[in-house]
Amino acid sequence: MAFLAPLLLLGLAALAVPVLLHLTHRERDQVVLFPSLMFLERVPYRSMRRQKIRNWPLFLLRCAAFILLILAFARPFFTDTTSLAVTLNGGREIVLLLDRSYSMGYSDRWQQAQVAAREEINTLGPNDLATLVLFEQRAEIGARSSVNHDSVYAAIARAEVGANITRFGPALQLAKSILEQSEFTEREVVLISDFQKNGWSGDEAVSFEDGIRLRPLPIDGTDASNVTITSVAFEREPFSAAEQVTTVARLVNQSDLNVTNLLVTLELDGREVATQQIDIAASGTAMVSFDPFIVGEDQLRGTVRISDDALLQDNMFHFTVSSGQLVSVLIVKPDAPTLDSSLYLENALAVGNTPTFVTETITVRDLNTDVLEGRSVVILNDTAPFDGPAGNALVNFVGAGGGLLAVLGESVRWTPEASDVLPGSFGAPTARLSSRNNVLGYVDYSHPVFDVFNAPRSGDLSSAQFFQQRPFTVTNPESVLARFADGSVALAERRIGQGHVLVWASTLDSYWNDLALKPVYLPFVHQLVKHLGKYVEPIEWHTTAQVLDVASMYAASGHQLELERDDPVAVTPTGVRLPITGTDSTVLLELAHQGFYEIHTPGAVVDVPLALAVNADRSESDLTTLDPQELASSVTGRAVTERLGNLVLHERSPDDAEGQQALWRYLLVAALLLLTAETVLSNQLSQRVR
Amino acid sequence: MAAQRHTLIPGASFVDPKVLARIENLELVARILVDGFINGIHKASYLGVSVDFAEHRGYMPGDDIRRIDWRLYARTDRYYVKEFEADSNANFSVILDVSKSMGFSSGGLSKLDYAKFLAASLTYLANQQRDRVGIVTFDSEIIERVPPSAKHLDVVFHTIDRAIAGRPGLLGGPLLRMTEFFKRRGILALISDFYEEPDTILRAVKQFRAQGHDVMVFHVLDPAELEFPYDAASSFEDMESGERIPIVPENLREQYKKLIEEHTSALAKSFNEQRIDYAVFNTSTPIDYALFAFLSARERMARVR
Repeated sequence: MAFLAPLLLLGLAALAVPVLLHLTHRERDQVVLFPSLMFLERVPYRSMRRQKIRNWPLFLLRCAAFILLILAFARPFFTDTTSLAVTLNGGREIVLLLDRSYSMGYSDRWQQAQVAAREEINTLGPNDLATLVLFEQRAEIGARSSVNHDSVYAAIARAEVGANITRFGPALQLAKSILEQSEFTEREVVLISDFQKNGWSGDEAVSFEDGIRLRPLPIDGTDASNVTITSVAFEREPFSAAEQVTTVARLVNQSDLNVTNLLVTLELDGREVATQQIDIAASGTAMVSFDPFIVGEDQLRGTVRISDDALLQDNMFHFTVSSGQLVSVLIVKPDAPTLDSSLYLENALAVGNTPTFVTETITVRDLNTDVLEGRSVVILNDTAPFDGPAGNALVNFVGAGGGLLAVLGESVRWTPEASDVLPGSFGAPTARLSSRNNVLGYVDYSHPVFDVFNAPRSGDLSSAQFFQQRPFTVTNPESVLARFADGSVALAERRIGQGHVLVWASTLDSYWNDLALKPVYLPFVHQLVKHLGKYVEPIEWHTTAQVLDVASMYAASGHQLELERDDPVAVTPTGVRLPITGTDSTVLLELAHQGFYEIHTPGAVVDVPLALAVNADRSESDLTTLDPQELASSVTGRAVTERLGNLVLHERSPDDAEGQQALWRYLLVAALLLLTAETVLSNQLSQRVR
Repeated sequence: MAAQRHTLIPGASFVDPKVLARIENLELVARILVDGFINGIHKASYLGVSVDFAEHRGYMPGDDIRRIDWRLYARTDRYYVKEFEADSNANFSVILDVSKSMGFSSGGLSKLDYAKFLAASLTYLANQQRDRVGIVTFDSEIIERVPPSAKHLDVVFHTIDRAIAGRPGLLGGPLLRMTEFFKRRGILALISDFYEEPDTILRAVKQFRAQGHDVMVFHVLDPAELEFPYDAASSFEDMESGERIPIVPENLREQYKKLIEEHTSALAKSFNEQRIDYAVFNTSTPIDYALFAFLSARERMARVR
């Protein structure tokens, strides 16, 4: 017990006041003048009241009230908070936050953290309550204890380093919610972590209420080298019917030590295919390019691995690779085309390898069912052969999932059959007015064709001038994707069966507009063709803690997943089989481990296993630490004042201790109650005397 | 004038002291009080030149030979001297205690006021009898002295009027010094509250008696001093010494009354033995009634003597 204002205890000397009052007050409050005390002094018995307390309860009440008042103003507090907790509530409650993000696997950090957690539990008494919370990106309760802390010890021993990144926010929030429901006065959060800077942005908005303390226990590992494979890139080249893929790995040295003779190995389907030896300067980066290999339609599992260092989790990088989706494009031009009407189109589609466009240009007279075989997209460049066999072939092609782009130029003619395919009808070309050029005025940026242009400085579609266009009247206004500034339709879409039809109301050369001369032309054409060809960019790897929709992944690969029939099962990198549940349209799978997940459909007629490469988030490899005191201060709103060895203790100042305990309030209330009782009692006594 | 009828003496009307307190003119007060009295109720205490024959006595050397009754010498052949009774021109002095305790009042007239009225009445009465009147006021010392004279009535009244109770009092010293003033025998009226031991008081008063003075002692007390009617426990402060003692009156009232009664009884007994007239005057009692009762008793006693 200590006092914030001990000098005020001198006021206890004033206890003599009520004593004197009791002894003398009633006689002295009234003085009677008398001629002579000659006879009164002869009386041996004068006033017995002066020499003894007349009402002990009243006297004791006054003394007690006075003592309580003095004590309250002296601002007492208990210095030994543990004994206080035991006195008041019989114990304390702590929440042990144990960081198990994969950076804790660095060197012997995890072992240190387990030891620190056990030591913390050792300090608990039988009346104390402990909760172990294991956290990385998310937080979960590992164990709770009451009288016996064995369950917590066991949970600490069972806990393993995970594959996710550090996030302090959820863990602190969980600890807060646990302790806010606690009835203990002594509540404490012990945070055991390597305190990575990436784990705390400062925007978490976690704030502990008064009475909850945060004690950080930073775990510090030995300073060792750490090289991280941050990403792998692929350069694809068409090679016969397959692709030739060159793998380029990017490595970062996260430590301040130079790394020499580092072996970097490329494994494909579990076999080492190439190894290189490199040096990386301190805090430097390196790119390692391996010889190309051929990839067919089958999925190939690859891993780039480096020799072991202090942090194992970022020494490997998994990926899956298969031949990229080739988009076969058939350009159909009029029988007597303008000389270079398809020039810009062909050149635009010849550029790029994600995907690789395979283009063929024919005249409209050569269009038939056979030539449409294997095509993904047909571009009718200034022609509209919707009547006759060619028309039927096109309808069937689109209905089966093909894409059709109709470019309305000078030569195109309207036939009634066109209304079966196009989203509307077109008329004669508008007059070319040099003074009133048109521009694109409205674009539906939510459509896949235009979403890449949505971001600022990602392509200005309105820069192109349109001198002529064909008026196009849509049957469904919602099918319009772009309009000219005068309100006329520029691009419209219609869905037939599983395929799409797009109508461009001007040309894709330089006769009716100068779009082909603008930088936005190439991505615009690519987006049109990708959309019509249903191109999905292949995902070579995923990141831990991602949640994937398996159904959509199957759909992208051309398979329809049916839960009841296919009975899909995921096999984790650790070999555990996880039944996948959900609905037919949404089947979710959480990726918790680094490595290769395999999804099997044992119930399907043909089991098509799907491999998913999962890598840990590389931001965790950055081991830069933050100041634990800063974190504790921002969460508790109080300063951390003392550092003890490696452990940062949240020592409270006398002001803080007194402020938190606020014993003076209880004393003041007790004093007021006593004074009230004293008033009632003394009033009763006064009335009785009268 | 308000008056109240007292049952002790039927037919006599007496004046309430509270009413007298409102009258500022002391002479008027005295006249009101005394006018109903019998004129010349007292006789001269010694023989003088008068027309009334008193007795014959044998001639002694030194006697004036003119006072020899020659007719009786002729009949008896012995020298006799004729003596006459003198009924006036006696010296009458009031000895008034103006010590601080005399200023006490429990609600009505203070003891000093009462004593003033008493002194004024007696002086007026004496003056009516053609006595010489004088006064001495004292506390622990002699404060003022007016020698007896037939012309000093106004001065005496004025002196009485000015008297205030200011300082602590003492009987022995002042009274001893007063014996030097009263060479000629006369009548002395001592008015005090007598807060001293009876022996001390008697020793002081006895000197006057030894000088041959006719001494009347008036013991003035407030009703509160006689009855001690206090209830609340209080600090009692001595008016003269300032000393305080806490008192619970209910516990010592009876003892106090017993002590004060013993005190007055002792005084009465001692004074009686010395043939000194003594009376206790309660300030709640009408002055004229008390005066009348006292003088009546004195008259009766004088006849006995």
